[in-house]
Amino acid sequence: MKSFSNTMASVRSAGKNYLLFQPKWKLNPLRSRHIERSRALLEANSLKNQPQKTHLHKFHAEKGRMEVFAGFEIPMWYKGIIPEHLAVRNGVGIFDVSHMGRTLISGPEAETLLNYITTNDVSALTPLSAHYSTMCNPQGGIKDDFVLSRLEKERFLIVYNASNRDKDFDWIVKHSHSFNVDVKDVSSNVAMFAVQGPKAEQTLQKISSKDLSKIERFKCGWTELARTTTFVSRTGYTGEDGFEVFVWDTPLTSPEKAVNVWNKVLEAGKEFGIEPCGLGARDTLRLEAGMCLYGNDIDEATTPLEAGLSFVVKLQKADFIGKNSLEKQKTEGVKQRRAGILMLEKGIPRPHCEVWKDKKKIGTVTSGTLSPILKCGIAVAYVPTEYSKEGEEVTVKIRDTFAKGKIVKFPFYDPTKYGYQRKMP
Amino acid sequence: MKTHGCEIPDELYYSKEHEWVVVKRDHVIVGITDYAQKALHEIVYMELPSVGAEVKQTKTMGTVESIKAVSEIFAPISGKVVEINKNLVECPELLNKSPYTEGWIAKVKPVNLDSELGSLMNAQKYAEYINKLEE
Repeated sequence: MKSFSNTMASVRSAGKNYLLFQPKWKLNPLRSRHIERSRALLEANSLKNQPQKTHLHKFHAEKGRMEVFAGFEIPMWYKGIIPEHLAVRNGVGIFDVSHMGRTLISGPEAETLLNYITTNDVSALTPLSAHYSTMCNPQGGIKDDFVLSRLEKERFLIVYNASNRDKDFDWIVKHSHSFNVDVKDVSSNVAMFAVQGPKAEQTLQKISSKDLSKIERFKCGWTELARTTTFVSRTGYTGEDGFEVFVWDTPLTSPEKAVNVWNKVLEAGKEFGIEPCGLGARDTLRLEAGMCLYGNDIDEATTPLEAGLSFVVKLQKADFIGKNSLEKQKTEGVKQRRAGILMLEKGIPRPHCEVWKDKKKIGTVTSGTLSPILKCGIAVAYVPTEYSKEGEEVTVKIRDTFAKGKIVKFPFYDPTKYGYQRKMP
Repeated sequence: MKTHGCEIPDELYYSKEHEWVVVKRDHVIVGITDYAQKALHEIVYMELPSVGAEVKQTKTMGTVESIKAVSEIFAPISGKVVEINKNLVECPELLNKSPYTEGWIAKVKPVNLDSELGSLMNAQKYAEYINKLEE
């Protein structure tokens, strides 16, 4: 028996060439005040080849099946992907997502810098709000997707993909030189957990000093969780209601605060059937919700318009990197789109599977799995716009078999039964 | 026999790709080992060979899928498939629950049994092989 495929291992951009970026915004000479990559990260990076660890490493190593992802040793699952997935859809689950990059951008020109390097409208973001956004290259290709939170008028927290930590930090720093801002990577000093599911609020409320029902979706705030200062945002990567919890001032070298909050959340969630969840369930949950995985569904060769992320591209705002290319693409029409495929026949679609229509290949699967909720195969694929309509029948070539499927809207599940918009009984 | 938490029944033969073989009077039964099912975890789908298919030792005879991974099953013995475990189509989790009994995969009428058995391991050798992999 030999494993030959891993759903998270593909990077579609490999082998493609991009024009080198030519900065068109040459402002004043170095005005950037302060750039700091956290020391622990530098130290960790200096130990090349050795996977990095998060604050909760001991817990994970004892209870989970560990794998290396984006240079981090993290749990793929504890009890199993399916029970962890179901805990989040039906109750609550907690994920350690401290492998993600966390950078603070502050200063009088923080908003201007972020408006220039990201596609969403940062001016519309009020303090203690968050939004989903992308950074693009000049060709409009996605450098990364992330959540940006505005902590204060002049202070922002950007949370980006683990696989892009160095690339994103360098990109932000490179552009920050023309702006009066501080850029500080706080990833090693701030632990990050996601507490997700319909029972997430009730779980956290038991140990929170602040009334969490006052924090609406995509809003954030400071609270004491288990008597520890935390920043929480009502965001996530599962499609469910829930919070992302940032435990401040907890260096990797003394992780006690982070470990304490983690354990207290597990205790508080016991009555709701809480499960610690690994990266496996994180992937199946985001896929059912129709959310993008960077490196699989989006990369520097795909634009946010093709990926169905036009809601985070604000073409009416002032110049930003990639704007011209995106405007041009919008005018000319998007030729291919990210679409969901629900399988009508047996078989689990996987990345790189071909999508066929009328006896010709029309596209390629970028993510696929068996949906634990729907109990059938689901896939994300790029197909020509004319085939991306809901209800369009296609076939997916899974090894030597052609299996029928149809194009569906995201999320894959019924949003009145699952996800943050569900109608509570 | 048991090693690294994996059951290794004494009376079976084992391949390096973690399939097992039990020899019956006029056929052999094949499946995947406890070690294999533990490594895959949560098996959710499988493709079985067809009855009548000729399978060849070390060549693919089917696939088994967990949520995260697709793995090929290699025939441990050459021959003609005479029966398949149809229960696995609806309940692939039988491979996790009882890989050596209810989770059997196929019955094969061997064509070259004696010489092919020689290339497989007995329980003792397979346990040593796993110990090496887990070092």
